Amino acid sequence: MSEEKDAWWGPVALLMLLIGFSMDLLVWQLSGGTEFSLILDRVLLGFTLAFGLTTLALLLVSLGAVHRHVRWHEQMIGLTLLAGLGLSLTNWQIGGSIDAMFDEGVILLSGITAMMAAVGLVFGLLLALVTGREHTPDPLLEMDSTHGDVSLELEE
Amino acid sequence: MWSLSDPAIGFWLPMALICLGTGFWLTDRKDPRKRLSVPILLISIVFIVVYGVETRGMDTAETALLAVLLHMLGPVALMAIGSLIATFSGPSPVGPLPRGLRPLGFMMAMGGLLWIGWMLISKPPDAIAHGIGETIWGSWVDVFLTILILVAALAGSFCVMMGEERHKEALTLAILTIAGGVMFNEIMQNGSEGLAAAGWHQIHWEEMMFLIGGLMGVTAGVFAFIALVYMAEKRAPDPDVIAPLSEEEKAVVDAVLRLNLELEEVE
Repeated sequence: MSEEKDAWWGPVALLMLLIGFSMDLLVWQLSGGTEFSLILDRVLLGFTLAFGLTTLALLLVSLGAVHRHVRWHEQMIGLTLLAGLGLSLTNWQIGGSIDAMFDEGVILLSGITAMMAAVGLVFGLLLALVTGREHTPDPLLEMDSTHGDVSLELEE
Repeated sequence: MWSLSDPAIGFWLPMALICLGTGFWLTDRKDPRKRLSVPILLISIVFIVVYGVETRGMDTAETALLAVLLHMLGPVALMAIGSLIATFSGPSPVGPLPRGLRPLGFMMAMGGLLWIGWMLISKPPDAIAHGIGETIWGSWVDVFLTILILVAALAGSFCVMMGEERHKEALTLAILTIAGGVMFNEIMQNGSEGLAAAGWHQIHWEEMMFLIGGLMGVTAGVFAFIALVYMAEKRAPDPDVIAPLSEEEKAVVDAVLRLNLELEEVE
């Protein structure tokens, strides 16, 4: 890539933001709008629940993989505290209902699987398309190895 | 009484066991826990399958999620296998499959995509057509379409930015973005079979926003983990200074080096 193209992520990030914003604007226009407090509540609930579940999952993975060389005190105690904090905040937000927490957790898993399917589809297709390009043969690939046996002829 | 039809036992316990099993799998290969990882993962999958069979037809969130995943398994697998076939039958030096299979791979990937497109706008099966199942199915579709549009646009624009005349790749991804956009517009404007447009709007404002927060939460959780590991490693004491080799150890090293050098000369 040339130097002018190095900052490619700037316009691409702007494009992503624009598309995401346009999709929300479309739904806003079709639905007649919604309350910002509702959006904020849902974003906060999603954040705390996902934070709690992710740290809990990482705590379990760390517990499973713990070995004598690992400095586990900070990791285990820290993850336990963070998971407890995230899940307690979620529980407080939804009025102390454990069943509601399970339901929201399922919606989170549903969203994650949908996200993985979409990302896998796009990158799988991109990989298949990119690997289909024909390249001019590389002479370096045709060369045989000398297994390190090299002799140099230096010009006097 | 503990029963596998209880979601805490039949669904969430296996999820926790999968995390624990992943930890076991990451241990050293001489560690006995490594051998436990596969049985734990298999037992967890069996628990989830039994839970799904026992609660079939019930209006619980976990059952609905399993129904959604089962519903999408066919087209997603078709797309994944098709993409792999197309990739490994191309001109790439790692392509061990016959070149003639490449169009079949693309057809399978496109077939899976069309299958998903058809499922998104057709009436869903009873298990995910009412109650919490409808919400979970709607969330899946909304997230899938949104991410498809955004990631395909990202990958397409990346192709354009990279240059080297990647027009075919960029065009294919642009078609994917446009097709996703048309489907999104259609369900938001006219609804779909079994779910009115107002239902889709509610799902978008409630579940989509919840999942945006969820994505940020997952990212924050991973960063918090990295920060904890960094803190732990930073506080670790410096390793002890190793004593220099004794004369006896030096003799052993010398003997090993000589032996290897002699072997190389013989070869």
